[in-house]
Amino acid sequence: MKKDVSLFIPCTVDLFLPHIGEATVSLLRRGGVNPVYHPEQTCCGQPAINAGYQKEARQAAKHFIEVFGKDETVVSPSGSCVCMVKYHYPELLADEPEWRRRAEDLAPRVYELSQYLVDVLKIEDLGSSFAGKVAYHESCHILHGLGVSEQPKKLIKAVKGTQWIPLNAADSCCGFGGEFANHYPDISEAMVKDKVDNYLACGADLLLLCEPGCLLNIGGYLSRNHPGKKVMHLANFLAGNGREG
Amino acid sequence: MEIKTEQFTEAVKRELQNARSRAFLKLMPPVLHMKRDISLATFPDIPAAQAYGATIREEAMERLPELLEEFEKNALANGARVFWARDAEEANAYITNLAKERGVKYVTKGKSMVTEEMGLNEVLSKNGVEVWETDLGEFIAQQLHRPPFHIVGPAINVPVEEVCDLFMKKANMKEPTLDPVKLGYAARLFLRDKFHHVQMGITGINIAVAETGTIINVENEGNIRFTKASPPTQVSVMSLEKVVPTMYDALHLIRLLCRNCTGQKLSAYVSMDSRPKKKDEIDGPEELFIVIVDNGRTKIYQDLKARDVLRCIRCAACLNICPVYRQIGGYAYGWAYSGPMGQVLNPVLLGLDRTQDLYRASTLCGACKSVCPVGIDHPSLFLYYRAKDVLGDPYFKGKRRPWMEEHIFKGWNWAVNRSWRWNLGIRMVRPYINKNAAGGVIRKLTRSFDGWFRSRDLPPMAEKTFHERWSEIKEGKG
Repeated sequence: MKKDVSLFIPCTVDLFLPHIGEATVSLLRRGGVNPVYHPEQTCCGQPAINAGYQKEARQAAKHFIEVFGKDETVVSPSGSCVCMVKYHYPELLADEPEWRRRAEDLAPRVYELSQYLVDVLKIEDLGSSFAGKVAYHESCHILHGLGVSEQPKKLIKAVKGTQWIPLNAADSCCGFGGEFANHYPDISEAMVKDKVDNYLACGADLLLLCEPGCLLNIGGYLSRNHPGKKVMHLANFLAGNGREG
Repeated sequence: MEIKTEQFTEAVKRELQNARSRAFLKLMPPVLHMKRDISLATFPDIPAAQAYGATIREEAMERLPELLEEFEKNALANGARVFWARDAEEANAYITNLAKERGVKYVTKGKSMVTEEMGLNEVLSKNGVEVWETDLGEFIAQQLHRPPFHIVGPAINVPVEEVCDLFMKKANMKEPTLDPVKLGYAARLFLRDKFHHVQMGITGINIAVAETGTIINVENEGNIRFTKASPPTQVSVMSLEKVVPTMYDALHLIRLLCRNCTGQKLSAYVSMDSRPKKKDEIDGPEELFIVIVDNGRTKIYQDLKARDVLRCIRCAACLNICPVYRQIGGYAYGWAYSGPMGQVLNPVLLGLDRTQDLYRASTLCGACKSVCPVGIDHPSLFLYYRAKDVLGDPYFKGKRRPWMEEHIFKGWNWAVNRSWRWNLGIRMVRPYINKNAAGGVIRKLTRSFDGWFRSRDLPPMAEKTFHERWSEIKEGKG
């Protein structure tokens, strides 16, 4: 009997990038576990807490805890959503002891995908291959929030035929920040331009990352300004041998 | 100092067009950050050293009232005089009065953020007391009438050509030069003359030590040492959070401050003063005044969460790593404090209502938190301020958000804890979003999303969401 792993699908993935969810399923199956999906899941509440709507975010948190609370393992292809559940839920529910306890109880069972594959399943080589050069963008919530940096690199470096290209300022923010990108376009554009310029300069064929938000931002900028260049979620890269979907 | 925090967006636009600022920002903050990394590596255990700093400042905040009293008691016993100022006005009036009573014509000043916050220079000037900033960067910024671009290097962005012109006009420089060392020397000669006859010197305080009543300044130019030692009257100004329990604590903070600030293991000068000179001593001021300024900090202190901002030791590591500061520089923040430390401090000193852009113009990337030597969690404070603002919190003067935004989140809230409502909402919204799609991408939506679409596309909403695909995926068809 394979171990069940609960899929925590970020709403950005659900609505705009479902192929990331499918790739996540495929990788977990390759990893020998059984992905299950609770159709009752909605949004973790990140947009609300970031905008300052904590009462509303609290509603989302309680719903999430109701849906996922009994799962042994919860895995998501987004570092920021995982940070929300692991770190913000207990704080958000601080004044409601029973909810807080449930949030704290759930927190250690929630993982970002690459973290789960490498740290828990102890898998680095997923049998993928890609003949080309790739660079990796260290998304802020993955790096600073979860302290995950080596795990995605190990997964990438195990892909047959892939050449790892160092990216200048790989760990600097791409300028997404949810509402930030829309409210402060001057700053956000300058940031994503720097990120893309570094990508173009490094000579990689493909830019990889583990965060759907950064993917929308960098991908949206590339689509508008450098249509030939691609950015891809690590899950798709590994599941589709460098081909999306 | 004039408060321009509400002109953030305009200032950002201006600074993003400023080629000189841009060129400087591409270079200097990353270099400072790299120097920081190298100097921190001299600690046997970097995270432990940083965590120790956080613990010292945490303890200092826990015990702040008693530590301040202990500091005052020891400072008085040493022969210093201590004045408690409830706000900037009281502090400025007290210092101005000291100058007037002594017939002081001009004062020399060491670099001090709190006097910047208080607007002391303006008040002294209005009262006929000339003010000479003696830190090279402060001197340049003062002569150019510019706000600080960086909390440690206030004029660090001013090109040498401009400094040369300025010194030819205002610092008696004889020959034009673009050599930074020669420019520095010219300022030294000019300011040295000021020190010769100075009657009163004003400095800030980096650390105040409760157990000894000692005040500590950290600097690289020696001008603070001069400002403290040359005149008969020394005035040192501190905001009330600067105190730590012991000299041992202070020494560790100095180690952290220098490394995190300029990437030095120790700055060129560290001066520790406890008392005016004794009768038989040659050096030192005849009288020492310590001004302890509240100016809104007790109010911050009483909020247990916001209290964390008072840990800050002004090292500027957060500025140098901040991806937003690295784009816009220091002017846009609109007041004495810039970068992430300014974004957490200014809102609770000035009110959330006129600093909305400061705590909202952050991607919450957490780079600031990752380098902070005293354990400030800037992103968490941004979220805290945003929440207070949404609620129109009276304590820190939250403003509330636009009607439209409040209603969007009401709708969101209606759907988020019922998946059928959530998925119904998606099915209803999808056609409206996707009718804007052309060639597989959306290039424009309603005006409220122009910020995004100005330079970015968005993929259309999936014809089938992951949720809608699950039944196929589950069967292994996906």
